Amino acid sequence: MSLLPNALHVARREYLFRVRGRAFLITTALLAVAIVAVTMVPTILGAIGIADPPHVAVDVQADDISTDPVLTIQTALIIGADPTADPSAPPADDERARVTRTDDPEAADASVRDGELDGLLTISRDADEDLVFEYLGSASPTNRTRLLVTQAASAIAIADRMERAGVDPRDSAEIFQPPNFTAVPVDPDDPRDEEDFGGAFILAYAVVILTFMAILTYGNWVAQSVAEEKSGRVMELLITAATPRQLLTGKVLGTGAAGLTQYVAIVVAAVVGLLVNGPVSEALGVAGELPFSLPAVPPLDLLAFGVFFLLGFILYSTLYAAAGSMVSRIEDVQQAVGPLIFLAMAGYFASFTALNDPDAGWVGVLSLVPFFSPYLMPARMLLTNVSAGEVLLAIVLLLVTLVAAIWLASRVYSAGVLLYGQRAGIRTIWRATRVAR
Amino acid sequence: MALRLSGNRLGFGPEHIYGKLPPVSLIVDAISKRFGDVVALDGVSFSVEPGRIFGLLGANGAGKTTSMRIVLDILRADAGTVTWQGTPNTELPRRTWGYLPEERGLYPRMLVGEQLRFFASLYGIPDDRARSEIDDWLERFRIPEHRERKVEQLSKGNQQKIQFIASILHDPDVLIMDEPFSGLDPVNVRLLKEAFLEMKQRGKTLIFSTHQMEQVEELCESIAIVDRGRVIVSGALRDVKRDMGRQVVRLATDGDGRGVEWLEQIPGIELTARREDYVELHVPADRDPDTILRAALERGDRVTRFEIADPSLEEIFVEHVGRRAVDESEEHLAASRREGSA
Repeated sequence: MSLLPNALHVARREYLFRVRGRAFLITTALLAVAIVAVTMVPTILGAIGIADPPHVAVDVQADDISTDPVLTIQTALIIGADPTADPSAPPADDERARVTRTDDPEAADASVRDGELDGLLTISRDADEDLVFEYLGSASPTNRTRLLVTQAASAIAIADRMERAGVDPRDSAEIFQPPNFTAVPVDPDDPRDEEDFGGAFILAYAVVILTFMAILTYGNWVAQSVAEEKSGRVMELLITAATPRQLLTGKVLGTGAAGLTQYVAIVVAAVVGLLVNGPVSEALGVAGELPFSLPAVPPLDLLAFGVFFLLGFILYSTLYAAAGSMVSRIEDVQQAVGPLIFLAMAGYFASFTALNDPDAGWVGVLSLVPFFSPYLMPARMLLTNVSAGEVLLAIVLLLVTLVAAIWLASRVYSAGVLLYGQRAGIRTIWRATRVAR
Repeated sequence: MALRLSGNRLGFGPEHIYGKLPPVSLIVDAISKRFGDVVALDGVSFSVEPGRIFGLLGANGAGKTTSMRIVLDILRADAGTVTWQGTPNTELPRRTWGYLPEERGLYPRMLVGEQLRFFASLYGIPDDRARSEIDDWLERFRIPEHRERKVEQLSKGNQQKIQFIASILHDPDVLIMDEPFSGLDPVNVRLLKEAFLEMKQRGKTLIFSTHQMEQVEELCESIAIVDRGRVIVSGALRDVKRDMGRQVVRLATDGDGRGVEWLEQIPGIELTARREDYVELHVPADRDPDTILRAALERGDRVTRFEIADPSLEEIFVEHVGRRAVDESEEHLAASRREGSA
């Protein structure tokens, strides 16, 4: 029997039922608001004052230090906030970081405890004439200001030790000059350049996370909805009216379309957030620049991302539908989809490791494997140079697997939907698939 | 048409008599089905002439639902064939069949009208035709105001009516209904029976299974009794009754309480029930029931009731399947109702 008209009827019912539901509307609205908020984090932080520049007081009790500790610390703080800043000459009253010398340690101490100051650094000398630093401030060892002050302190201490060892301060400045270092890429066409890499990295993360979330969330919808039809016994009417393949296809398409609707809403919200972030922060007069810019992705690559996303989603959803058809009660759905969640998670975690080492051989191999390629191949395409042949091979393998999965899933489905009350083990299902229509 | 002339023997027993059956019948021929180690059906055969109402009787687990699912081709038999008007069921379009499953189920949160149109669309019914059919049937079942309600807001009886409408909207040739009367109140049973007869008048073939023998006696022209995966009796209801080889006599006399022991003296006669105001006797077919009347009159009693009848279907069923099965099936039914919502 032909697939289409009935699959579309089923898909239409599924889509409308999902999209009209209150849960769907509320979730979509909340997600959209959350995404706008995330894209505007720098502006929001600036507006409510959390992103205030660090302010550190220095109490210099060892007054024979040749370098200016205030200047050193300020430079470290500025470079920490903005790596592109010119390290050679920071203006004395730079807005990005404030460092002041204090002669009243007790008042400064009180200001730190009041939260007016981020920290108070006391510099003195011990019995061996070595510099001793004491920092009053955040207890967290990963506090950014504290880390930067610590770095500056070691620079001050080393310069001081060199001076005491008889090295001229001008020579020591030369010693601290960064070396002349040029990285020559093996592949001159490699699209990664330093400016774009941060953005590409973030985009790769986004693609992996979006794909994973779609599979997990909407796949679960498919399994739930199949199990609901089965436990609500409407399945017997459906299976009389339409073939398992029509039902399965319609279910996956309808749910997929509903999920995609939600995704489009989220992506639109993200784009709106990114677009208005700049003007809004300017209007408010706060620093709200995003710390990265998105790389320009060629349209053909975008198309490939779409293909991987859709094929991967359909592959998993089809199997989720088969899993949902094996249980009699909705409570058992989670157990039945367990292996699929495991598979999806494996791909997800593999891609996180792969993002940090996209050139590794295992990443190349795994990015061709059907259940993992929807995550790994787009990530690789963003971070390294992948040949078109490899991308096509991955797509073909994914398509072949999808056809096999649809065949298997409709067998399991047609057998599973009429099995009630039995524990649906692999053996029961296998036996059932051999006699189903 | 040949089928009208073929006599009233509509079904057949284990002795296959295909030659006498019109080829347009629904013919279920020796279907068998195993589920793992359990034999669900063991060579089930029966046939139903077009335009007739056929009853499928049996205890729970006898194989009625499995037989129906195989006829509908939602399950495949391990062996045997099903044909309708000469075409194997695997090659028939799905709209040949209308099916009312035993376990009722609809989408609880969908509107009644929308839901019925969805099912009609799966059978390829154009939407405007579906709308008018739906309105007709809701009117007939006296629930037109429920069209814009969610199914979960309807009573069980009304949900069942909706499900019945869902199974016939596409105008199927054969209607297969699994326990259609279970859980309905008498008023709704009446409405459903009227709908059955209406479908029959439209020339549809109806097959239903039930535990309620009185519905079968009232509606069915032919039956099959299934027990443990086998057909043990089948054929026209009248023939099945005749084949029992006896008649039932009900007798009431004004005998000033002198007892009825004398009846047991008559050879071959069996006293089967002693009610408040009459007694029931089984009389072998070769014996004229009039002898009983004569004997009663000869004794000088005044006969206030004398009735000769065929054995009831319930008696036939009990005799073939056994009292045990009836008790079990009733218990089972009650238990499944209790679990029903779980």
